[in-house]
Amino acid sequence: MTDIEFDLRLPNDVTQLDRLSTRIEAYARAAGIAAKPAYRLQLAVDEFFNNAVDYGYPDGRAGEIAIHVRRAGDRLELVFSDDGDPFDPFAAPAPDLAGTVEERPIGGLGVHLVRTLCDSFAYAREGNRNVKRLTFSLAA
Amino acid sequence: MIHIDRIVEGTIVVTAVKGRLDSSSSPKLEEFLAGAPNEGTILLDFAELTYISSAGLRVVLKATKLVRGAGGTLAVCGLVPQVHEVFDVSGFSSLIPIHTSREAALATMT
Repeated sequence: MTDIEFDLRLPNDVTQLDRLSTRIEAYARAAGIAAKPAYRLQLAVDEFFNNAVDYGYPDGRAGEIAIHVRRAGDRLELVFSDDGDPFDPFAAPAPDLAGTVEERPIGGLGVHLVRTLCDSFAYAREGNRNVKRLTFSLAA
Repeated sequence: MIHIDRIVEGTIVVTAVKGRLDSSSSPKLEEFLAGAPNEGTILLDFAELTYISSAGLRVVLKATKLVRGAGGTLAVCGLVPQVHEVFDVSGFSSLIPIHTSREAALATMT
């Protein structure tokens, strides 16, 4: 199969999430991606989009979020970028997963899920953009 | 994007969630479960839940805290493999009882 690519640019607006999810789902189906890597891709895009919209633009300015996905051989490559304030999500310590229900903080899980479920992750500040590059094995 | 049903099975209140639980839909479940602490034993049936993100997990954890805080019990059932994986990776599998199906859950919880 030839490489199939996905490209989408969105405003930093939380109401765009449903559209984004629908587009990623359609892409995964068209590219014949198995349920497991398709879910992991969807989760990464969802969590990063929400974090960028919620925390990347504290002054309320308009921004642009770009998502590029490419199927390459036995893996899926995701490049997620935004022009929000500089932030490296992978620099944060992993949350403490031990403890009882009462002790567990509500929230702070998104990045942990993404970094655990991908095969590789990297962050770079390139010009005025946060750029995250992730790969996912296509094995089901 | 999400459909929620409430079914009473004896002393257990089953909340069946169908669709996707992300940041856009999870406030609906949060609202739906706001009265859960008064209901004693709650079973979240996720057999038709195709997707959950950290926003959905947040609502499940919050409901669990509320129910347990009021002396009740909360369990989940019917997780599809990908949703189960998210429960495992988040550590929720060791916090919240997970049953394979509604039938298995009801048999254990009654």
